[in-house]
Amino acid sequence: MPFSRRRTLERVEAAPTARRDSAWSALGPGERTSLIAMAAIVLVAIIGPTLMPYSPIIPSGSQLLPPLSSGHVLGTDVLGMDMATRLVAGMQRSLLAAVLVTAVSAAIGTFIGVVAGFRGGWLDSALMRFTDLFLAFPAMIIAMAIAAAIGQSLGSAMIGIIVVWWPLYARLVRGEVRRVVALPHVQAARVSGVRGWRLLWRHVVPAVMPTVVVTASLDIGAVVMTLAALSFIGLGTPAPAPELGRMASDGMKYFLNAWWVAVLPSVTIGLVAFVFNYAGDALRVVLRRTGV
Amino acid sequence: MLVFVAKRLGSLVVVLFFLTLLVFTLGKVADSDPVRTYVGVNASAEAVTAAREELGLDDPVPVQFASFLGGAVHGDFGISLASKRPIADELSSRLPATLELAGWALMLTVVIGVSLASLYSRPGRVGAFLRFVFFSAASAPSFLIAMLSVLVFYKWLGGVLPAAGRSSYGPYEDGTGFYVIDGILHASPTYTWDAIQHLLLPALAASVGAGVALARVLADGISSSLSSPWARTARALGENEGTIVRRHALRNASSPALSLLAVQAGFMVSSLVVVEQVFSWNGLGSYLSGAIGVGDFPAIAAVCLILGAVYVVLNTLVDVALAAVDPRVRLS
Repeated sequence: MPFSRRRTLERVEAAPTARRDSAWSALGPGERTSLIAMAAIVLVAIIGPTLMPYSPIIPSGSQLLPPLSSGHVLGTDVLGMDMATRLVAGMQRSLLAAVLVTAVSAAIGTFIGVVAGFRGGWLDSALMRFTDLFLAFPAMIIAMAIAAAIGQSLGSAMIGIIVVWWPLYARLVRGEVRRVVALPHVQAARVSGVRGWRLLWRHVVPAVMPTVVVTASLDIGAVVMTLAALSFIGLGTPAPAPELGRMASDGMKYFLNAWWVAVLPSVTIGLVAFVFNYAGDALRVVLRRTGV
Repeated sequence: MLVFVAKRLGSLVVVLFFLTLLVFTLGKVADSDPVRTYVGVNASAEAVTAAREELGLDDPVPVQFASFLGGAVHGDFGISLASKRPIADELSSRLPATLELAGWALMLTVVIGVSLASLYSRPGRVGAFLRFVFFSAASAPSFLIAMLSVLVFYKWLGGVLPAAGRSSYGPYEDGTGFYVIDGILHASPTYTWDAIQHLLLPALAASVGAGVALARVLADGISSSLSSPWARTARALGENEGTIVRRHALRNASSPALSLLAVQAGFMVSSLVVVEQVFSWNGLGSYLSGAIGVGDFPAIAAVCLILGAVYVVLNTLVDVALAAVDPRVRLS
């Protein structure tokens, strides 16, 4: 029995790969562009910083050079550090932080949701009460309070966001688990003697994961924005760390003379959030059309 | 309905209690030492002991929490470590500033949402282009919109709208702190108009994202309503499309829109904090970022509690309003 089940699983896993071409052709031009743009941003974030000619935290030119100056395409900031280099480095930091925050929140939320949905009973209601309490809190304000209590750094901003972000996943996953547990193939496994961890690990969790992954990919844009907002009000690593939100708020001091110091980091944040939001939507469309 | 309201009020109290507990706990585990922030790094041992006493840090932790909770209920948030003045006094002029801005931002959100909703579901190339524009506006951080609006309306158009502060004239001594209302109460059109001009750009920056999100939900709701059987019936009875949208579809779409508005109000609180900083708006947000800069946790806690309470109360009101509009909510 276990052997035949494994074969079924393999077949299910193989199907999406076979459909990938048709999914790509089912996309509109806007959706394709967004997916390509997302890949480009990820690429720039990964290899960009090593390609830049300057250091993001060491002055390399005159102060407050406007964009299109020779040697500094996007100008320099008030200390003479190259804007383009800092933006690319900041993009890497933001994306890495956002992916980490999303992954950790999803992991915590999935764990709690699976336990609650699978065990049921008093544990379920206790965990869900707890989750609902966190959902009732104003997320952004709690994140601010937590980050402020831990201290000014990117890490504490990330912890602040994780604390308010996991409940969404816990709710989502619990609902999914309860749905999946009632499905015929899980019932059949149960009847044939698969129980406990094995049932959970082999049959329930794999069925829940696609939903979690799609939700997580949709969330990255929002996490980038939230991190930037926290960093903007002073809850990030202070300068000279290349942190986009902080760069934007520091740049406000020279805003009317040197708009680019504040505007360019903000545009970068907006661009990353926009592309990831759009690509997340495209991803959802793909999944809906291919019926995965 | 009464049972529903009672239940919601009960959970409101529970959530507020735990919110206070959470903020209090954060204050206890905060990484900065409140006494050192209060008296300075070089203070004598006696000064430190006196400050511990004054701040109530010698009491057992449950007693400290009880007095923190009791104070918060009465609007007393203790003493600011940075200015050594009662936090409540410092906030009294700033709360109306933030609430006034939030009120205008919420109004603008509804205006933007309703007026963009019909554009959102437009078919063809124009519709696709509009959706692209709206999507980018919704993805832009509120400080970017704030900065761009300052560049356009203040710098490039030669100052048609003011870009900093709440008023060119300063507050009325006996005023409410809500400048527009003060202007109207004192029958001064110049003062009122000036206050409104100062409000426009910050309120716009705080409301664009929420407005677009609202437009999207309204558009979704309207388009699914229009393809429903009762819309077909209405068409068969000879009603024209505009009447169907206004009379029936918009009403049906308003309930998800209302719950979205409550969610967006939470986001708006955070964008207000950011926007206040860009426009040097003397509200809770700029107070908060000032307090963050000097590590004044009691002040941070006070602002978080006030904004959190506003958010939780607003959510409860929206839930009750939803239940009043839609019987399905209160019966489930």
